[in-house]
Amino acid sequence: MSIEFFKRLGWFVVLCLAQVLILNHIHLFDIAIPLLYVYFTITFRRGMPKWIILLWSFALGLAVDVFSNTPGLASGSMTLLAAVQPYLLELFVPRDSAENLEVSISTLGVGKFIVFSAILLMVYCLVFFALEAFSFYNWQHWLTCAGASFALSFALMMAIESIRKR
Amino acid sequence: MSNLLDFLRKYHHWLLFVFLEVVSAVLLFKYNSYQGSAWLSSANVAVGKMYEVESGVTSFFSMTRANEELTLRNFYLERQVDQLRRLYSEVTHDTTVIERQTLQFLNQYKLIPAKVVANTVHKPNNLMTIDKGAADGVEVNMGVACGNGIVGVVYLVSEHYSVVIPALNATMSRISCSIRNSNYFGYLHWSGGDPAIAYLEDVPRHARFKKGEWVVTSGYSSIFPSGVLVGQIEKVFNSADGLSYKLQLRLSTDFSCLRDVCVISDRRVAEQAKLLEAARDSMALTNRNR
Repeated sequence: MSIEFFKRLGWFVVLCLAQVLILNHIHLFDIAIPLLYVYFTITFRRGMPKWIILLWSFALGLAVDVFSNTPGLASGSMTLLAAVQPYLLELFVPRDSAENLEVSISTLGVGKFIVFSAILLMVYCLVFFALEAFSFYNWQHWLTCAGASFALSFALMMAIESIRKR
Repeated sequence: MSNLLDFLRKYHHWLLFVFLEVVSAVLLFKYNSYQGSAWLSSANVAVGKMYEVESGVTSFFSMTRANEELTLRNFYLERQVDQLRRLYSEVTHDTTVIERQTLQFLNQYKLIPAKVVANTVHKPNNLMTIDKGAADGVEVNMGVACGNGIVGVVYLVSEHYSVVIPALNATMSRISCSIRNSNYFGYLHWSGGDPAIAYLEDVPRHARFKKGEWVVTSGYSSIFPSGVLVGQIEKVFNSADGLSYKLQLRLSTDFSCLRDVCVISDRRVAEQAKLLEAARDSMALTNRNR
């Protein structure tokens, strides 16, 4: 059990509790929900075995689901995001960078990190709300919810990342 | 064969991805089934325990408000007991009897607890529905009160529900109230607008009172016992014809968040009502014969 495992476990517990006890109760204008636990998947380092990323993300999604009474919703979306994250990261790493590069503002640079996390977060919000509604009948509402939650979660995530940078 | 194994080894994470997505989909689709949802839902023991701890913490923060309401209620009840004790000792000249017979006074009032199931506060004529009816002993013209004061009068009764005319009804609610510790009485009238403000009309001009004094039910109607809180005097106006006072009261009952009420059934009401009825009939008869 390496130190990395315990650090991941720590983030898992903190993000799960923060989401379930505090953030799940925030429904801004009845459409936006901050989804901070996506930060967990975004910050997996380059080169981490993909099956580990998948299992961790699925577990966090499942934990949040169990508390929110929505089995399968967050776990499905998180698994999809975990499948996509390594491939997207390859597009954003600077040339000649280390094989086990950590993902943060200091390693990727502000601009690249913002775009990288924004793409992942947007994909997550779209998939999450699509699964939640389970139909595209009212697509304007789907887009509004996804967009508003994205904005709120993105702001929160940038705040946390800028604190970590220091 | 070895090509297949090589392929699997290279892309094994995709198999895991498909497997996990299938698990998520199964969970999602089985959500409505009893077994699936009960297992994974918040009935789960660990989750339940954590929510219990969290609600213990959050309910602690609303203790102060619950405490304030209980203290006020306590204060009012102590005053009422004090008043009853003095009254009884005046009548019987025996101050020790009350200790033996404390509960007998309140025995004549039977309280039926009920919950409000429908309520409005912003119409000019509001009506309220409670979840007790004829099967529970509720009858028309019984008074309804709550922990903070009066609520209204029962208007219609069915087997399991009743409709109550609350004090916030401009055309039909006229409850007889008096200023506490004096015998001056008037009628409570609500004229729409703020659900916390009502007016006590026909208070004689020689009545003495102060702002902030409590107004309670007078006991002159057969509907409410005397001493049930109505509100506090806020402002004093002259009545329209200048012959009496019109007091603006802040109602002690919060009609907009009412949930627990009790219906007061006074066993002597039937006798009192019949007597009044008989008196009116006999007067009408005398007038006709004149």
